[in-house]
Amino acid sequence: MNDATMKPPLAARREIPHVVSPGLWTLAWRRLVSDSVAMVSLAIVVAFVLLMAASGLGVIAADWAREVGVNYAPPTFVGPDAAPAAPGAPGRAGEPAAPAGPTPGSAFDSTVVDPIGDVLAELKAEAKGKAEAPPAPGGFVDPLADVMKEIDAAKAAPPEGKSVDPLADVMKDIEAGRGAKEPAAAPAATERRATLPFGADKWGRDVIAKTIKGSETSIFVGLAAALVATFIGTVLGAVAGYYGRWVDDTLNWFYSIFSSIPYLLLILAVAAVLQHKGTMTIVFILGLTGWTGVFRLIRAEYLKHKGREYVQAADAIGASNARRMFRHIFPNVSHVVLVQMSILVVAFIKSEVILSYLGFGVPVDVVSWGSMLNEAQNELLLGKWWQLAAAGGTMAVLVTAFSLFTDALRDALDPKLKGTTGQ
Amino acid sequence: MWAYVIRRLWQMIPTIVGVVLLVFVLFNLFGGDPAYVLAGKISNPEQIDNIRRQLGVDQPYYVQLGIFFKQILTADFGASWSTNEPVSHILATRLGPSLTVLVPLLVLETLIAIGLALAVAYVRGSLTDRMVMIVCTVGLSVSILVYIIVFQYVFAYQLGWFPVQGWGNDFRENLVRYASLPILILLVVSIAPNLRLYRTFVLDEINQDYVRTARAKGLSENRIMWVHVLRNASIPMITHVMAALPGLLIGAFLVERFFSIPGIGREVILAVERSDFPVIKALTVYVAIATMVANLAADPHVQGRRPAGAAQMSALFDPHPGCAGRPQRGGRR
Amino acid sequence: MTKTTTNLADPLVRVRDLSVSFRLDRKTTFEAVRGVSFDIPHDATVALVGESGSGKSVTSLAILGLLPPENAIVDAKSQILYGGRNLARLAASELRGMRGADISMIFQEPMTSLNPVFTVGFQIEEVLRLHMGLSGAAARKRAVDVLAEVGIPEPERRIDMFPSQLSGGQQQRVMIAMAIACEPKLLIADEPTTALDVTIQKQILELIGELQKRRQMSVLFITHDLAVVGEIADHVIVMRDGEIREQGPARDVFERPQDPYTTALLKCRPQIDRRPARLPVIDDFMSGAGIDPGTVLERPRGVAPDDPVVLSVRNLSKSFWSREGLFGRREFRAVKDVSFDLPKGKTLGLVGESGSGKTTVGLTLMRLHEATGGEAHFDGRDILAMSAREFLPYKRRIQIIFQNPYASLNPRFIVGQILTEPMEIHGIGASAQERTELAFELLHKVGLPEVSFYKYPHEFSGGQRQRIAIARCLTLKPDILICDESVSALDVSVQAQVLNLLQDLQAEFGLSYIFISHDLAVVKYISDQVMVMNEGAVVEIANSDEIYRNPREPYTQRLLASIPKGWHGEHARAVG
Repeated sequence: MNDATMKPPLAARREIPHVVSPGLWTLAWRRLVSDSVAMVSLAIVVAFVLLMAASGLGVIAADWAREVGVNYAPPTFVGPDAAPAAPGAPGRAGEPAAPAGPTPGSAFDSTVVDPIGDVLAELKAEAKGKAEAPPAPGGFVDPLADVMKEIDAAKAAPPEGKSVDPLADVMKDIEAGRGAKEPAAAPAATERRATLPFGADKWGRDVIAKTIKGSETSIFVGLAAALVATFIGTVLGAVAGYYGRWVDDTLNWFYSIFSSIPYLLLILAVAAVLQHKGTMTIVFILGLTGWTGVFRLIRAEYLKHKGREYVQAADAIGASNARRMFRHIFPNVSHVVLVQMSILVVAFIKSEVILSYLGFGVPVDVVSWGSMLNEAQNELLLGKWWQLAAAGGTMAVLVTAFSLFTDALRDALDPKLKGTTGQ
Repeated sequence: MWAYVIRRLWQMIPTIVGVVLLVFVLFNLFGGDPAYVLAGKISNPEQIDNIRRQLGVDQPYYVQLGIFFKQILTADFGASWSTNEPVSHILATRLGPSLTVLVPLLVLETLIAIGLALAVAYVRGSLTDRMVMIVCTVGLSVSILVYIIVFQYVFAYQLGWFPVQGWGNDFRENLVRYASLPILILLVVSIAPNLRLYRTFVLDEINQDYVRTARAKGLSENRIMWVHVLRNASIPMITHVMAALPGLLIGAFLVERFFSIPGIGREVILAVERSDFPVIKALTVYVAIATMVANLAADPHVQGRRPAGAAQMSALFDPHPGCAGRPQRGGRR
Repeated sequence: MTKTTTNLADPLVRVRDLSVSFRLDRKTTFEAVRGVSFDIPHDATVALVGESGSGKSVTSLAILGLLPPENAIVDAKSQILYGGRNLARLAASELRGMRGADISMIFQEPMTSLNPVFTVGFQIEEVLRLHMGLSGAAARKRAVDVLAEVGIPEPERRIDMFPSQLSGGQQQRVMIAMAIACEPKLLIADEPTTALDVTIQKQILELIGELQKRRQMSVLFITHDLAVVGEIADHVIVMRDGEIREQGPARDVFERPQDPYTTALLKCRPQIDRRPARLPVIDDFMSGAGIDPGTVLERPRGVAPDDPVVLSVRNLSKSFWSREGLFGRREFRAVKDVSFDLPKGKTLGLVGESGSGKTTVGLTLMRLHEATGGEAHFDGRDILAMSAREFLPYKRRIQIIFQNPYASLNPRFIVGQILTEPMEIHGIGASAQERTELAFELLHKVGLPEVSFYKYPHEFSGGQRQRIAIARCLTLKPDILICDESVSALDVSVQAQVLNLLQDLQAEFGLSYIFISHDLAVVKYISDQVMVMNEGAVVEIANSDEIYRNPREPYTQRLLASIPKGWHGEHARAVG
């Protein structure tokens, strides 16, 4: 970036034949281009970002919420269910894929100390709560309402939990889900297809459209939160490392506070406090809690570079603090910033998925990979694997590509590290 | 060394105070009126007033802060808002199950990751090395949720090798019967990143001059790896393991939740779901303190593994700029 | 190639056609050593001399098979014959059995070459267990014995110490102890004294010489410093760019060098007893252009009492503090009450060993460090007492050139930016065009082509970079230039060029230099006045010729006695 913005006054140069040498960024880019793995990864990442943009603009997957297929319509390549699931009496036909429950009885020992009951009950309560929760983000939602329901549900659960068939719960869950969904779905429920290219979820929504929409949410959260966290971490780290003394002590105090609380606990604590859900809330939570790693590295870099001779030389020629910090040191640490941001994107995408899965993430009317996995967990018990495969697989492809690209980027920007294979 | 430890402990105090302040600001300022939160259960306004008085939230903030500090010092956070169980009791009873999963996990994972890291570093640059690294990257990209869902489905539901979930009162039964699948899943998930990290630690050491000296002495590659390199690389490894310990306590929450293990992590999720502030506050503060203590224990100076000898002292003093030691600047007279 | 003469039928090691190349990436390889042949006789010291990139270290590592296997390729024709076997083709396990037992090696950085987490004793006993089958008490006793032999005081106590608890000189002694513990036939020493102070260097050189004689082993001594070679070598091999330029008995190489490169190396280095107006540079010999008259003329140096003073420093002090104990702070006085006057247009040399505070003096005068006490009068004002703002106009008049030309130029700036930035800051030159013109002029002045303006620092060699750093200082037209070890990192031939440049600029602009260096010969050559420092305090200050001819203080005497004298004929052993 400095190559472009910090050109010397060449306008009036004497006429001598010359070529401006390639800068370090250009060289790094050339190294990157020669790395085929990096280029393939980059192409995949760019494709995903374009997808996100297209979906965000409503060009594709705009009507992901339409119920275009029958409930749990299988992927086309699997073929339609022998007995399509009908409202009210879904699913037993699809059971061959689901286990007949050979083991689970053992899981419901009377020795279970869990006061709430088994996970399935929890999930059930949650699904119910979600389906009924008003999607209005502005209004005050009584947080205890959910809990009370959950407890009620838990109270009701054990008798069923003790039954040998775990599917009983699931069936109830599905009925509950259907029941809640029915009124809204009714007008659209005209001609529904028996199969979809990659199947449908329990309400018959197209999994592909859902996955695209989910990618949009997850990638946006990852990118935006990484930008926020990198910005905070870089600015604070630069100031702390450069100025040292009490500035450093103060910022380090903040750093040690944030870093001594395990990251996920901090996220959950903030999530517990911020009651209203929304995509921007997640970005805010992740960004405000995730800056510590960047801070530590950038602070260390500034500390190191501050003592370097080229910065002392800049001091000697009278360059101001701001000039030394931004024009001299920053271009020399910017590759660290870039790599850190790239690492954070991956970390935040993963965090968002977990948060949304737990129901602390995006609101119910927004789909993300995390909320898809949440639904998919129960579907798997019925043998409906496609939503799980779609969400989990798409995420794995993007994250793999992003990670490989990050590795290549680091090697290209800092060829000394490459190798690590010895000189 | 003791002076160093005491100084580090002393330096912890401002951080602990900061954590307490952060938690206080989060929950008491931003968290809304706790009585309001409780009102879901009890809607009688008189009772709300009563609760407010009991909780002390009708007091000014500085009094509330004082109460909070007192709670931390006496380890008495009152009772959970949703179950009325004393918070201290929650903490005490949930620690055991968490540790039943985490301690074997930590031991296995550290041993396997270190062993693999040395092996991979040994063949660094080879096809095997690159393949292992790519497998690690791909393995890392699959969400932990997918691992848990699929493993639980395949190994517990389908194959019936493990119970789907549950927890008993007998330690051995818990460890062998209920904890083994969670441990397996966490192993799969945590080895990949640690293997990558430990590999870089080992590679950093392999390029050091002393390794060349060891070769010049005629030592075998095995001895160089397992004695000279490992001893040095284990310093950042131990630091990493120790520092990651408290985080693991929380990181395992997904598994605890899926498998109904009544541990700390699951308690955190439940507390967040129920807006059970006393439990979250207590957990946050104590886990933060545990993290700080673990970090201190992970400090190589404290372990006495790197002797702080003459050279390090002189590095500290070295007035030459750009050196590792950062001398305090003396002000002008 | 001259043939080495030896009185023994078979040399200890016979190297023939050794070629080593390195894979840089998939397509390019770099030939570091090209067809090198030489012998190492029994019971003799052979010196392998060359500048950076000459391939001398690669050659020595190849003998022990210590080249990195990932990217080093030893040519199939290469032969390294030792005891009837070709080490270049030996199985790894067999070669391992010889390392440390028959042939052992010591390195440049003793601090990093010893494993920091094991005691000295463990590391020595390790070779004894491996190669001599000693164990337990026997190994320990033997380790104590060798430590005593290499001159470690109180070996019984030191054996249980960690390397970091020893001084640099002691660490190198431990390395030597480890190397000779199994009585090897050949000791390879790769720049073993380069990282050490000159007084310690002398001790280590003496130790290696003694051990060589006592043990009747051979030593292959790798160095860039011909003066050191003259002290200890029986045979000398001169390498450049991966090839041998000349080899032969030390007497022949020093007294009748056949190769112009050898001659150049011998002449480029400043000598204690001569001060030519201009140092010969390598091109004088290699191009055959003939001897520059300036190299014959003597340049008088010295300060007269009535010379005008440009900078007057009084009682300069600088302390650093470190935390100690629970609440304590320990003061480290890096500079103690230093006073001196810098005459206009002259050079003040600052010499001392590491930790003497000489660099801190320079940085404190530049106000890159805040002084703890004292005054520095420049133009009638105390520059140390000024506010940062007041100091700014003075700042441009005192400039500094650092030691490491690789670190002192911002790698993200092109040379044009590096040169025009200081002018922009201080408003020199009315327009961008004028500044650019000035930059071109200065590039010309320091002997760089104008295209350099558009290049990045990493495209230049060390010497060229140091010229860029000098040009950057000149943009501000300073009165005083502080040279902080500015030529220490450069090869001998490049060093001479930069020293010549500095002298030319001094003559042209009337610059005053504070020349900080640990290299006594260079300081002697370039300085009018020399200030010797030790442990932060001034030991002695006097005219350059005076101090070298007639040192008054014992410390100065000791320091000067440690300077390697190079070849002077009466070398101990006659060979051949």
